[in-house]
Amino acid sequence: MYATADMLLTSPQAHAAEQSPETAVEVVLVKAVLEGDRDGFARLYDLYAPMVHGILLARVPRAEVDDLVQDIFFHAFKKLHTLRDAAAFGPWIAMIARNRAVDFHRRSRETVELDDDVRGSDTHDSRATEILELIRNLPEAYRETLVLRLVEGMTGPEIAARTGLTAASVRVNLHRGMKLLRERLGFMEGL
Amino acid sequence: MNDDYLWDKTGPPDSQIQQLEEILGTLRYQPAPLNLPTNLVVPKRRSYLPLLAIAASLLLAILAGGIWLLVRSRHEPVITRLEEKAPKPDEAPLPPVKKSAVNPPLVVATNKHRHKAASFVLPKREREEALLAKEQVMLALRLTSEKLSLVHKKTQIKNQHKVG
Repeated sequence: MYATADMLLTSPQAHAAEQSPETAVEVVLVKAVLEGDRDGFARLYDLYAPMVHGILLARVPRAEVDDLVQDIFFHAFKKLHTLRDAAAFGPWIAMIARNRAVDFHRRSRETVELDDDVRGSDTHDSRATEILELIRNLPEAYRETLVLRLVEGMTGPEIAARTGLTAASVRVNLHRGMKLLRERLGFMEGL
Repeated sequence: MNDDYLWDKTGPPDSQIQQLEEILGTLRYQPAPLNLPTNLVVPKRRSYLPLLAIAASLLLAILAGGIWLLVRSRHEPVITRLEEKAPKPDEAPLPPVKKSAVNPPLVVATNKHRHKAASFVLPKREREEALLAKEQVMLALRLTSEKLSLVHKKTQIKNQHKVG
């Protein structure tokens, strides 16, 4: 299954209430791209690349994330004409990113992956990788929101607006995820 | 525990969250230009509206044709029969037929059983043949009647001669 029940906890009312000015920007940009404006897509990339990066970072090895981000936006550009609701660009590309992460694991099942902490050179980076690994071991719904909040620096309302999740479910996921992370960090020294 | 800082970075900062933000911030997305092939274009969105309009028009035409044929097939026999009954101006009128109790009309139709009676109406040609046959039978009967009356008269004359 690509998405958990928590992630799909959405309602039309909640979406209507959360219509942000950004959504209007997305609509304009998507329409512009469909009419042949490539710069519009570059703007969409600037807006959504951090979210896609965070979604991937919560699921795939760090070294693969940058290439996958490019792949996902390349795929999105080719398939943009299939997007029916321009305002749903965020949830659409988020779903592409989640599915691409699943595909990545399916394809690379037989290949041996180098641990991220092997690549980390300085102490600060290795500690970051270690904490990221702890987050990755949390339930799927928590890990994505925590990475978007703690790594990408997005606020809860921003996460909700960009991913299409309700603010309530993002808040719950952040709260429960943070609680679990604190428990697991208790075993780590020096934090 | 106050979650405001975790939620939208408002309220009193949580030191542990701040520390996590600082450490994990090193993994944050580093802006990089999007590399799209220059010859790549977004495919145009397919509009199914014209196809739907054509399909709907065809369906409507087929439906209308079906209804027209149905209505026509229901009314056609009655019209044809009515046309058959009405004499055409260029046709010679049929010889008058004497009505009698012995000769019931060929077509017996009442308003009540119009549809059933209509099924007994003969085609024009057969009707003419039937009328000719009837005339012949009538002629034969008339001749027979005349001969019988002649025989009867002759018998009476013979009897008078015997008595005389």
